Amino acid sequence: MRPLPQEDFAPAPRPASAGLNILVVGVGGQGVLMISKALALMAQRRGFAVKQSEVHGMAKRGGIVFSHVRFAEQVWSPTIARGEADMLIALEWAEALRWLDHLRPGRGVFIADTRKIVPPFACRSRKLGAPSAYARETPADVVGRHADGCALDATGIATALGDSRAANTVLLGRLSAWLDYPVAEWHEVIAAIVPKGTREINRAAFDAGRAWTPPAPDEAPAASAAAAVAPGPDLRIGVSIDAAWCKGCGICVKLCPERCLAMDGPKAIVRTPAACTGCRVCEWLCPDFAVTVRNEGVPA
Amino acid sequence: MTTLTALHGNHACALAAIAAGCRFFAGYPITPSSEIAEHLSHAMPKVGGTFVQMEDEIASIAAVIGASLGGLRAMTATSGPGFSLMQENIGYAAMVEAPCVIVDVMRGGPSTGMPTRPAQGDVMQARFGSHGDRPVVALAPASVQEIYTETIRAFDLAERLRTPVTVLYDQVIAQLLESVAVPAPSAVRVRERKWANGASGWEPYAADDDGVPAMARPGDGHRVHTTGLTHAESGFPTQAPPVVDRMMRRLLGKIDVNRALIEKHETLAAEDAEVLIVAYGITARAARRAVTTLRETGVKAGLFRPITLWPFPEAALARLAGRARAVLVPEMNAGQLVLEIQRIVGHTPPVRPLTRIDGEPIAPDEITAAVRELAVHA
Amino acid sequence: MLDATPKTTCDQKAPFDPREWLRLAAMPHFMCPGCGHGIALRALLAAVHDCGIAKDDLAVVCGIGCSGRVGGYIDANTMHTTHGRPLAFATGLKLARPDLTVVVVTGDGDCLAIGGNHLIHAARRNLDITCLMLNNEVYGMTGGQASPTTAATRVTSTTQSGAIEPTFDACALAAAAGAGFVGREVTRQAPALKTLIARALRHKGFAFVEVMSDCTEIYGRKNDLGEAPEMILSQKADMRPEQHRDAPDQPFRPNALPTGVFVERDLPEYGERLRAHAAAIRGEITP
Repeated sequence: MRPLPQEDFAPAPRPASAGLNILVVGVGGQGVLMISKALALMAQRRGFAVKQSEVHGMAKRGGIVFSHVRFAEQVWSPTIARGEADMLIALEWAEALRWLDHLRPGRGVFIADTRKIVPPFACRSRKLGAPSAYARETPADVVGRHADGCALDATGIATALGDSRAANTVLLGRLSAWLDYPVAEWHEVIAAIVPKGTREINRAAFDAGRAWTPPAPDEAPAASAAAAVAPGPDLRIGVSIDAAWCKGCGICVKLCPERCLAMDGPKAIVRTPAACTGCRVCEWLCPDFAVTVRNEGVPA
Repeated sequence: MTTLTALHGNHACALAAIAAGCRFFAGYPITPSSEIAEHLSHAMPKVGGTFVQMEDEIASIAAVIGASLGGLRAMTATSGPGFSLMQENIGYAAMVEAPCVIVDVMRGGPSTGMPTRPAQGDVMQARFGSHGDRPVVALAPASVQEIYTETIRAFDLAERLRTPVTVLYDQVIAQLLESVAVPAPSAVRVRERKWANGASGWEPYAADDDGVPAMARPGDGHRVHTTGLTHAESGFPTQAPPVVDRMMRRLLGKIDVNRALIEKHETLAAEDAEVLIVAYGITARAARRAVTTLRETGVKAGLFRPITLWPFPEAALARLAGRARAVLVPEMNAGQLVLEIQRIVGHTPPVRPLTRIDGEPIAPDEITAAVRELAVHA
Repeated sequence: MLDATPKTTCDQKAPFDPREWLRLAAMPHFMCPGCGHGIALRALLAAVHDCGIAKDDLAVVCGIGCSGRVGGYIDANTMHTTHGRPLAFATGLKLARPDLTVVVVTGDGDCLAIGGNHLIHAARRNLDITCLMLNNEVYGMTGGQASPTTAATRVTSTTQSGAIEPTFDACALAAAAGAGFVGREVTRQAPALKTLIARALRHKGFAFVEVMSDCTEIYGRKNDLGEAPEMILSQKADMRPEQHRDAPDQPFRPNALPTGVFVERDLPEYGERLRAHAAAIRGEITP
């Protein structure tokens, strides 16, 4: 595929006769499967053989979901091998990066929502405002350098239209710009697969995605790389131990996730107060009411 | 206005409880006391009170104490086996000073014994049934009329002294139909429990001169801790010997201080009696007849009838017994109250038991014969 | 109520501070280091706070044993009654004073052995009482004798070569007896325990909550269960229902039983039923 001309909002449509390998990825609850279903239906209408395989069973909400959609004159394997995807549609930024290596080197098209859904295990420091271990790569690092395509705030666009859940349809609209299929047919397919009450918003989302243009450089939100709040002593958070009530059972010391507390002879003491995140485990589990955690804003 | 009506003993007890302001009854069926529960199951709701049949006698007395701590006048009724089961919690009521009334309709024992036969075998159980030393008040009515008045008095004493009060009577009076003069409600006097009034420095077990501490009700702002553990004035447990001694002597002492209020007895021809009969409950009625018969034949017999069994009206008895040549104690057991009489009277004059444990009441003739024998030998 | 001290109120929106609910003069409490009962006490107080129940309107009725001493530390109307009987005392109290929130704190021995009869009848009657059974699988106060929840093979003072009796599933018992609300939680999950207790408090009728608590000093020591932190950490690992089913001879903690809410059903509340019945007897309403 030829590189995406950044100055030209309308990518050159692929000839409708060619087959494609499209990988749709995201996390549970985003609507990965709706996109792949729409693609599969559309391909069927064009008379292609279609294979779609997906993994979603263990995703629940927030877990990984991916779907392989392959259509051509004849399709044998149901899955797309690494380096063989023509297009990668990602509904979540880190998932976009995770699957990047599946794109055809130098030729794949990359369409991603820039929204981040930060998983709990990326929060290595539970301090308020601490930086997370979420992927550091920005859209600028990827688009035009490792792959062609676009990264857009599809969730923001859908939210502006009235329902953030239509972000997947925004991306589908964007994707449609690469495929030489009639818009009216897309509208029909979408209307057929979305719940009745959401047809309007999905149609609007599709159109918005299809018509999306990259913002001018000066319009790019400067806050996208807002400096993370530096971790450090937080006056709103603190742990203290009443030695008179402490019986030294050691529960708080052993169960503190941040290892803030230590035994000092027969009593527990606060050893590294700055490490306290205010999670209250010690407070809840102290049988002697000796631990008090101050954490303004978090219910006791 | 007093109304004259014919009532069974147990029915009179139930009516008296309602008249005394009892608004909570918890019980468990047992012969021969069940009629009290039966009457109250219908009468209690009518006056806005609560009747509940519990799963056993232990639960019954527990619920009664719970209701009492909640602020109500409360009562249960049972017979010997159930009374045995209640003993631990009666001790608890005495310890936490929860006013309540326990009616024990005595039947033949031990164990299941003779459920439908009368006895007076629970006299010592009423006194010593619960472990440890505790204040004890027990009343022994001898007629249906007296069941009525003594049940009301039991509530009055329980509320004023903050202690459990036992009403002891036997199967005969329980199921005897007699005419009763039911006083007008206005004539029934049960004095209000001494309530805490939020004064500063108040402590739940700090007593006044009468030995009785004012009581708090849940919800009145005092937030008291009630425990069967030996506690200080604060209500919290203590094992400090001087505090324990002070608290226990006050607890037991409130009975002694108020003896004049609690003790009650009746005499018949006792002032110049050479043979003094000491009898209570149904046996006292036979003794009364015996005294009359004996006096007619020139034998100077007299009757001392304790209506309050515990604490025993000992000063009154000691005075009269001192003038007699012999004391006879007829009772429907193997000799229980006679031990207390012997303690009070000492060696002179001699105190002799007259016992019957076959499930039959003692007849006047038996008493007459025993007195004649004593009069000759003493 | 004469001129008593002003009634307290409870601002459930304010942050929970246990010190407002404890009798500070009695603290620190007398429970052993690491005893789970202290954790359960905190969860109870937090739940009461969440429900907005004022101290003056709260009555806590306890029995005898380690669990029986929990109530004394609560700044409310507290009753430390006789062994096994708190539910019976509470029945009388709640019937006499429907305006009070009555909570019973009892233990496995108190509630299932000596007081088992009262448990099944309280559940059957469905009077509006919340019963917290702190299950530490042992009679701690008397020196560590076996209780009705001591698991097979466990060593106690009275089962020195291992317990052999089957155990009670207290929740199944309460549910079968007719309780309207039945739940179980471990102290390790203290916030969830609080939520469970709050739900039980809000339930109208008899609510039974079994709290799996650790006896660290006696039961833990006799059975090599580790120190307090190890014991509380193992509460999670020990939740193995399949082991409970398939290998009853293997040592396991009864907290291998499932946790959560097992029964939540609307049944006629006994106090209301009784009062309606009384009104019918008085002829105020037709039954």
